[in-house]
Amino acid sequence: MTLLLLMARRHRLPILCWVALLIALSGPTLPAYRSTYATVADRRIAVALAQHDAATTLMYGRLPDPGTPALMFAWEIGAIVTVLAAVAAVLLATMLTRAAEDNGTLELVRACGVPPHFPVRDALVLLAAVASVLTAGCTAAAVVSGAHVEGADLTGALSFGAVIGITFLLFGVLTVGLAQVAATAGQTRLLGFLAVGAAFAVRAMADTRDLAWLNGFTPLGLRATTQPFGADRWIPPVVALTVTAALAVAAAATAAHREYGAGILPRRDTSTRRLPVRTVAALSARLTRTSLIAWTAAVTAISGLFCAMGAGAVTQPDLGGFLGAQVGAGDRVAGYLSYCGTVTGIIVSVFGILAMLTAGHDERTGLTALVLTTGRRRWAPLGAQAAVTAAGGAIVLLAAAALSAVIAPVVIDGPDVTVRTLGYLLGQWPAVVALIGITTLLLGLRPSWAGLAWLPLTAGALFALLGDLFDIPGAVQRLGVFRHVPDVAAADGVPLGLIALLAVGAATCLLGLLAARRRDLVAG
Amino acid sequence: MTTGPVIEVRGLVKRFGALAAVDGVDLLVREGEVHGFLGPNGAGKSTTIRVLLGLYRANAGLVRVLGLDPASHAAEVTRQISYVPGEVFLWPTLTGQEVLDALAGLRGARDVAAEQRLTEAFALDTRKRIRTYSKGNRQKVVLVASFAAPTRLLILDEPTSGLDPLMEEVFQQCVREAAAAGRTVLLSSHLLEEVEDVCSAVTIIKDGRLVESGRLADMRHLAASTITAHLPDEARAAIDVRLRSWGLAGNAPAERRLVLNVPRDRVAAVLGVLAEAGAADITCTPARLEDLFLRHYQVAAR
Repeated sequence: MTLLLLMARRHRLPILCWVALLIALSGPTLPAYRSTYATVADRRIAVALAQHDAATTLMYGRLPDPGTPALMFAWEIGAIVTVLAAVAAVLLATMLTRAAEDNGTLELVRACGVPPHFPVRDALVLLAAVASVLTAGCTAAAVVSGAHVEGADLTGALSFGAVIGITFLLFGVLTVGLAQVAATAGQTRLLGFLAVGAAFAVRAMADTRDLAWLNGFTPLGLRATTQPFGADRWIPPVVALTVTAALAVAAAATAAHREYGAGILPRRDTSTRRLPVRTVAALSARLTRTSLIAWTAAVTAISGLFCAMGAGAVTQPDLGGFLGAQVGAGDRVAGYLSYCGTVTGIIVSVFGILAMLTAGHDERTGLTALVLTTGRRRWAPLGAQAAVTAAGGAIVLLAAAALSAVIAPVVIDGPDVTVRTLGYLLGQWPAVVALIGITTLLLGLRPSWAGLAWLPLTAGALFALLGDLFDIPGAVQRLGVFRHVPDVAAADGVPLGLIALLAVGAATCLLGLLAARRRDLVAG
Repeated sequence: MTTGPVIEVRGLVKRFGALAAVDGVDLLVREGEVHGFLGPNGAGKSTTIRVLLGLYRANAGLVRVLGLDPASHAAEVTRQISYVPGEVFLWPTLTGQEVLDALAGLRGARDVAAEQRLTEAFALDTRKRIRTYSKGNRQKVVLVASFAAPTRLLILDEPTSGLDPLMEEVFQQCVREAAAAGRTVLLSSHLLEEVEDVCSAVTIIKDGRLVESGRLADMRHLAASTITAHLPDEARAAIDVRLRSWGLAGNAPAERRLVLNVPRDRVAAVLGVLAEAGAADITCTPARLEDLFLRHYQVAAR
């Protein structure tokens, strides 16, 4: 087996999940844009408004003329999928490079006679293969689903697929380069996400400040410069591929000039700090602290950004497409703030599940055994992780809600904006708790099942964000966890949905702890 | 305080699906005893230890540790136990000192002076983060935490696999001190020579089954050595006669190079005979435990 095949075999699950998600988002959403507007005239009005709306421009960029359904799809869904492709690229590239060095698996491979330059080379080849599959998959999805959609043609589908694939590859190769510089895998991921954030900021500045040329200098501007289903320019993808190739050569050259397991940046490896913990929860809190700070900063910034973009979404009379589906036909302020809360809730839930999955990792590696043999109860490590994660989720939501509650009243006109912002964001905590409870139950039953916790989150996010676009029945949508927060300004009666979520969270958590007590520890 | 044995296991069975990892093992460890728990890799030692710690539940058999059933009283039992796992994985972002703080804090009992003394004895730099430690240094952190903890029973699962010979000496000294202080030690290993210097009793298992158990002094017959030598042709017949008179038999008489296994109490006599006969290139190697298993206990492989 070659190193390339070994890498693909070892990481096949996250690779397949990301590819499936990105292709699924690229295809089935396209026909929805055909049926959003009753008449061509309605659509033209919506396009004109969208082209002059600061909020949608900041979020998705400029909507090109003539604003066909296919163009709207590439503008709106294209913006979301390219950002997700960038995030996927950072995570997968880190997994293939520095994470394998940090956990020692690459050391074993290198000791089997694999030349020193092979790991970086094969990581780049695998990323290129994934990018090719993404390109082909997204193209095929757009071709199949765009058969009867105005403006959707083969060339547009090809350029759309190429934009997704090349965006993925560019960020992947950039992250491989960052992996040669960063001190650890964690630092690589952080630098990668900072690069994605910077690329988004440059793209937003290019689109909102009429500096279109700036889009040529950010990977997330590739969609705007290529313009799938519109101009279908091929020079920008070729330039992006050339830059990617140069980055790949630079990454390989840097890899040859560093020590195994160390980046160019130095790392702080000594400390005289003490750890005066007396409970498992205190230890869990200390171990979660760094990631909690990072998540709090990131979620607060994203949540604040979404609120800052709210003015246009609230005032625009005919808002269609993805954002229109989010805001709904009722009270625009409530609709938009609910959307902000949903997005924030989804991100905090990702934090919650990731934090809970560390309990499974700790059990497999023997850390749980080490804690238990200090005289702790069998359920204590899992229970402590659930409690700390729930508290961490509350902290992230509180910080995000506090900043958003300051920003929202400044940019959004309407009654009770501050209270509603706080309500919609903090109201997502029961959803986070429910998902933490479900993850605890799965971990308690069998740690290898814990990955299934992503299913209710993915389903909830799909129902909440794309439910209307996909015409998913309301009864099914209500099974998701994210759309149960009432408008606190208009709420009358008991928020049964939130109480039900808290009950699900508490019950599943309790069942998980009971299940953990009744089974053997998973050996490392 | 318990009045009976510190560890009492009778007829322990632990299955994982169709595989019986432990199949009817008995283990008796008395108060203050250093007990070797021997067996080749995959014999079922770690599985048995996890049952003793309440991490695994037995399918059958009686298990008592410090007078309690670890399946139902795991926390009460492990509060009085120091445990060193075979594979030590620690929180990579914490320093060695922070791990010592955490383990002592969770236990709720700490001997700071002992911890400092052991840290120095094991030459451990506790300011470094775990991710920079070698396997041996990670093992030292857990050894320091275990020996320093004020516990009655130490369960050490192949604790020296990452230590250099100098640190192995320090480890053996720590075991002796623990025994002198009245603590009981269960020392798991696959090397007889590692345990025989410090243990007063041993239990040997293979393929999940008990092979032999008892005081080490009563089991010296297990500790055979392999002697090789080149013999002068004229001396071979006479030497074979002497060896047979002691119940020993070497390889084929036609070969000039003699190879034979000799019980420990006969080694000096055999070497004397060989030297007297003018044998050359004489070597004497203590037998590996694996050889002993193969020679004495042909337990059917499953």
